[in-house]
Amino acid sequence: MNSPLESEALFELGPIPVTQAILTTWVIMVLLVFGAYMLTRRLTLRPTRWQAAIELIVATLDTQIAETTGARPAPYRAFIGTLFIFILAANWSSLLPGVEPPTAQLETDAALALLVFVSVIWFGVRGDGVSGYLKSFAAPNPLMIPLNILQSLTRVFSMFVRLFGNVMSGVFVIGIVASLAGLLVPIPLMALDLLTGLVQAYIFAVLAMVFIASTVADGTSKQSLTENQKET
Amino acid sequence: MTIDFWGLGLQAVNVLILVWILSRVFWRPVAASITRRQEAAQKMIGSAQAMREKADAAYAEVTEARANIKAERVALLETAKAEAEASAKATLANAQARAEEMRKAAEESIHKQTLSAQKAHAAHASELSLKIAGKLLEHLNGPTAQSAFLAQLVDAITRMSDVDRAALLSSQSTIEVVAPENIGTDRDAIVKAIHKALGAEPELEFVADPALIGGLELRSTHFVLRNSWQADLTQVQKAVTDAA
Repeated sequence: MNSPLESEALFELGPIPVTQAILTTWVIMVLLVFGAYMLTRRLTLRPTRWQAAIELIVATLDTQIAETTGARPAPYRAFIGTLFIFILAANWSSLLPGVEPPTAQLETDAALALLVFVSVIWFGVRGDGVSGYLKSFAAPNPLMIPLNILQSLTRVFSMFVRLFGNVMSGVFVIGIVASLAGLLVPIPLMALDLLTGLVQAYIFAVLAMVFIASTVADGTSKQSLTENQKET
Repeated sequence: MTIDFWGLGLQAVNVLILVWILSRVFWRPVAASITRRQEAAQKMIGSAQAMREKADAAYAEVTEARANIKAERVALLETAKAEAEASAKATLANAQARAEEMRKAAEESIHKQTLSAQKAHAAHASELSLKIAGKLLEHLNGPTAQSAFLAQLVDAITRMSDVDRAALLSSQSTIEVVAPENIGTDRDAIVKAIHKALGAEPELEFVADPALIGGLELRSTHFVLRNSWQADLTQVQKAVTDAA
């Protein structure tokens, strides 16, 4: 069994080494895109069971976003929803024999955390403008700027480490037990891994939503405060 | 522990591409479908609301129409009742009038019938009485009665106007002396008395006519001098009939 902390290149595309995780990611992407296309190619006003199911998923996601951010869910739906579905698919891919989940590799989790970090900045800038976003680091007073910057970095780092640790440990434990006890013994652990994978995907998506929401809420509250002051 | 930054970047790009593709292939179409359904549902709710309002309005209209119909029905019933009462009264009055007319006509008819019956009875009674009288007078047709009738005939001839007497005498036909039975012995006395009363001596022919009952009469073509029970009874009968 390879070390989870090291990724081994299967082949290279120019300067880019293509690892097992990247290959698995591509397969997952193709499957997700194909599945999404197949599910949404014939949407009707009178929904089928599949359409009702996917609409329920979208409606639930919208409700979660609306309750968390208090804003319209449309701008965040694609990002948060895709994060959740991709991480879930990646986590559960560990159940297929011979497949190592991409989220058990540092690069994938780091990439996901980096995307969340960038999205927080993106949505913050889009909501309040660059100056408004930068000013949010000076809340409640300028002394908090270093702490706020540190907070925004560490919370993203914690997300990446949490996801990597949980998924990698699950894969590692199942691998060790399978190598020691044979075929059927890891099944309960694999079932537990299913739950862990779902919970981790949910936590990652919710935390991303919370971070984006906090930035947007800060901007919104500031904006509304300035508007109120202008009115008075 | 080393991080492969190429791998990190590639995975970030992979996830970004996935976000972009799924946004177009999955999230937007599904959200649009939900929105479409919500809009359709809203539209249906709106149209249902409009239909309901329409139905409510129609119901209100029907209720009002029913109320109007009810009122109209009551009014029509009252009118019909009044008309029926008036018609009944008119019919009753008409019937009463007709009954009164019929009663009066019946009374008149009864009265007429009574009168005609009375007349008929009176006529019948007078006829009977005259027959009785005739039968009774037949028994009185003796010489005394005959001489009395002769005296009356002579008196009547005497009281005749000159014109009548001249007309009687100038008549071409013979003058008949009519008696109820053949006159035997008294024939000459009668002829003498008549000649004397006429003041002339025309030819006289004696004729028997039992219908006279009793009496003497002079008859020519254009002249009759009545002097008999039968003439008296006829006069009496005429008087009784006229009186009735």
